[in-house]
Amino acid sequence: MWRRTVPIMITFIVGTVLVVAEFIPHKPFGNLGEDFSLYFDIIAVFAFILGGGNLCRVHFSKVYRKKTDWQFSIVTLLGFFVMLAAGLFKIGNPEGIQGDVTAAGSLFADLYDSMFTPLQGTMYALLAFFVASASYRAFRAKNIDASILLIAAFVILLGRTPAPSLIADFFAGAGITFMATAFNFVPTLTDWIMDVPNLAGQRAILIGIALGVISMALRLILGVERTYLGSDSK
Amino acid sequence: MGSDLIGVWIAAFLTLGIMSFLYKDNPWYKFSEAIFVGLSAGYWFASLFWQSLHAKFWANWSPAVQSLFQGQFDYNLLYTGAGILGLMMLLRLIPPIGWISRWPLSVVVGGTAGLYLINYLVSNAVRQIGSTIQPVVTFPESIGWINSGGVIIGNVLVFAVLIVSLGFILFGRNTTIDLPTPTKLFFFLIALVACALGTFYSLSMPLNLTGLIIFMGVFCGLIYFFFSKEHTGFFGGAATVGTWFLMVTFGASFGYTVMSRMSLLIGRIDFLLVEWLKVVN
Amino acid sequence: MLRFKAAIFTLLLLLLFCLSAAAQTAEELSDTAALEEPVYEIPRLAQVTNFEAKDSPDDAGGEIELTWDLSVDDKKEDGLVSKYVVLRSQNPTSDFHIVGVANHRDSSYIDKNLKEGTDYYYKIVTFPKYQGEVRLTREEIDPLMEQYPELTELDIKDVSMLAEYDRDIMSVFDDNILGISRVAGPVKSRAQWFNSKDLDTLIIGLTICISVVIFIGMARGGRKLFLRRIGGLQAIENAIGRATEMGKSILFIPGIQDMDDVQTVAGITILGRIAKTIAEYDTKINMPVSRSIVMTTARETIKEAYLSAGRPDAYSDDMVHYITDEQFGYVAAVDGIMVREKPATCFYLGAFFAESLIMAETGNSIGAIQIAGTAMPAQLPFFVAACDYTLIGEELFAASAYLSGEPKQLGSLKGQDVGKFIAMVFIIIGAVFATLAALTGSEDILEITNMIKSWFSA
Repeated sequence: MWRRTVPIMITFIVGTVLVVAEFIPHKPFGNLGEDFSLYFDIIAVFAFILGGGNLCRVHFSKVYRKKTDWQFSIVTLLGFFVMLAAGLFKIGNPEGIQGDVTAAGSLFADLYDSMFTPLQGTMYALLAFFVASASYRAFRAKNIDASILLIAAFVILLGRTPAPSLIADFFAGAGITFMATAFNFVPTLTDWIMDVPNLAGQRAILIGIALGVISMALRLILGVERTYLGSDSK
Repeated sequence: MGSDLIGVWIAAFLTLGIMSFLYKDNPWYKFSEAIFVGLSAGYWFASLFWQSLHAKFWANWSPAVQSLFQGQFDYNLLYTGAGILGLMMLLRLIPPIGWISRWPLSVVVGGTAGLYLINYLVSNAVRQIGSTIQPVVTFPESIGWINSGGVIIGNVLVFAVLIVSLGFILFGRNTTIDLPTPTKLFFFLIALVACALGTFYSLSMPLNLTGLIIFMGVFCGLIYFFFSKEHTGFFGGAATVGTWFLMVTFGASFGYTVMSRMSLLIGRIDFLLVEWLKVVN
Repeated sequence: MLRFKAAIFTLLLLLLFCLSAAAQTAEELSDTAALEEPVYEIPRLAQVTNFEAKDSPDDAGGEIELTWDLSVDDKKEDGLVSKYVVLRSQNPTSDFHIVGVANHRDSSYIDKNLKEGTDYYYKIVTFPKYQGEVRLTREEIDPLMEQYPELTELDIKDVSMLAEYDRDIMSVFDDNILGISRVAGPVKSRAQWFNSKDLDTLIIGLTICISVVIFIGMARGGRKLFLRRIGGLQAIENAIGRATEMGKSILFIPGIQDMDDVQTVAGITILGRIAKTIAEYDTKINMPVSRSIVMTTARETIKEAYLSAGRPDAYSDDMVHYITDEQFGYVAAVDGIMVREKPATCFYLGAFFAESLIMAETGNSIGAIQIAGTAMPAQLPFFVAACDYTLIGEELFAASAYLSGEPKQLGSLKGQDVGKFIAMVFIIIGAVFATLAALTGSEDILEITNMIKSWFSA
């Protein structure tokens, strides 16, 4: 009862109230959605203790048992605790403990700028390579679907650069007006693809997603879907 | 100045460490990865602690409790609920009563379900249907990309898409439309002639048919997502046309993103060459 | 070899990028020289008529709606009117301050963040366009802005124009220089209990929800419902089987969002189904997560799956481990896990952002079977390009219902189809009327079209 029925009832009540609240502008329903996000943020901080705890446990045991690459676990733990201490105690913060945690000049901000930002930026930048290798593979399109994807991608890719007009100039210079006209139309074709078939596909996907979400949400609210609650036993 | 220089060198060291992953997994990458994971986990917890727990919870809740002792009720006292739910989450650390953490989880899932139901109904379903309600044929003037013969190109494309789609629905491999081949050919020829005439007329008559493609794309796309009917016959043909539209959409966003991803790499190379090595000014 | 080709390809794309960047910087800017002009004369424009202020309907209180008929000068083509400036006071005769502006040709404004139950008075100023260069320097304007913070609602040009007339700027609004409407009010704002604008949405939503509920009920009652098979879902079992045969692990990535994203919830429910198969096959599962609540939920879910497969002893909490909340930190670690453990199968089911392609390409390079599913339209192309199967949008949410095989879950999918059917019917009807209206130019048909459109204008 307390382990299964109560959680299902809570889901039902909270879900229903939030749906109904959408139609009631009056207090306290009007901003119930925002209140919920606030509640969630607060719950998430508490939950972080579980996640952070797990991170420490995994790496401590790696070091303790001298598993492969245990040296790097020391680095992770060091990074974690130094950053945590720098943030929680606002070490080196010019305005002391009252200051903003990200205030310039603090150890937290320094670590963020010299280590966090380049790591984050570089990991993100790896995408350039991956997007290229993905396009390269797409070039060996195996079926109709892949070919359509490829052609659309290629036209848009070209259309967003000055390449078509340069090529057109080249052909015009060489006296091949037919090719020049064709390449001059690439930007128009780009716009057409973006505004017409792309838009249509986008809409079909979005409407589908909406119906999927509605049905999923109903299954959750009505307690038809309860996998996330786990088992009855301990 | 000195600390700035150290900062740049550390940044460069880590930048190259991450990039070395492209060659293969190696200790340098492992080191950068380890530092990234530890540092960022610490960063998130510290930020969440100050920005959520302190600024959103404590700053609202503690004054409310104080005023309660002075006999006044403050709306912010409701934050107590969030605190209790958060603590319940932590009960997971005590296995015999760990199941209590399902209650805050139920609040989260219930709230998420409720909010998403409404938001997706309004922003995705209703609004998208509303904006699809458009004329399929118009007199051009109002669409931005129409210039220098764009209408004609557009219409020719429309007819091409129509003919290919029809051909596929009638003769495609997955189709099981139960008609004798001559009849199918007859329909196809009629359509072909109609499209040819349409193309011819669209050269002289200012009609814009792009609405037809949007309509067809949304319609066939939705058919693709239908679960209740097997993808055979007319339905299967339409669903296949639907997947083509989805593929164009995917291709378009793919192509659209490539260049912006390249700029990210340029950003890092810029850092290495200009800020670190000072090769270029 | 692929790596080499891809590297060359990257270079090519980079070249293309530099080309476009260079082309952009080549655009030149031209500068203009200011000319000496005589003192500017502010044109007096006609005031607005029928000015009314009333409580905003369908709101949570704190808003007042203002409406008016355009100034006669705003209907002309010469474009003398630049905007309408809204003045407010709690006193009918004095102390009016600028609270906002409406564009020219606009005939309404909503004043927000008001105190409920307080009386307010409003005036509208038909504000002229300044035809010339700004003649006051920044040093002259800044103190004025500091003195009257409300001037930030106006442009620098406007402030300059007013200041040229009188440095005591607000007095300009009291003099008879600008076209100022009569005072409207008193008016109070109130909160409402039902948002009548949402009535259409309510009806559409109810129709869809009721059809889902009806089908769930029918299925529960034992009615057989037909559902077609989805390719990606059939592939799931094969993928798990392959990992078992190869004796390798399965990697499950539930996206990088928390449990307050319904896609994550969908990913976790699918996890519940496939974890059962994994338990039965006795395969290893590795699930790095980037959110703590997802970690605890996933553990519960997997534990339940192992329990119902009759193998509770095979379950361990270590199957699910937290990495970091940081998007790219998480990706760095997942990429590391992939190249070191070489899982045979990777699942990506949940909400993804830019990291989607980094993970999917790395998974591809280690030769894993990859099954992805997300409702992030921007990331779908990358999954489609790099994975073996992709559950597109709606399929992600339907997957757990499919895999459960429970009639009531399957019933809900039928309900979804009713929603799609309704959408298609209204799109057809709407398009027919809209086309007729466009071709015939008939006002009546246009009115019907607009009525249908208005039902879907939430």
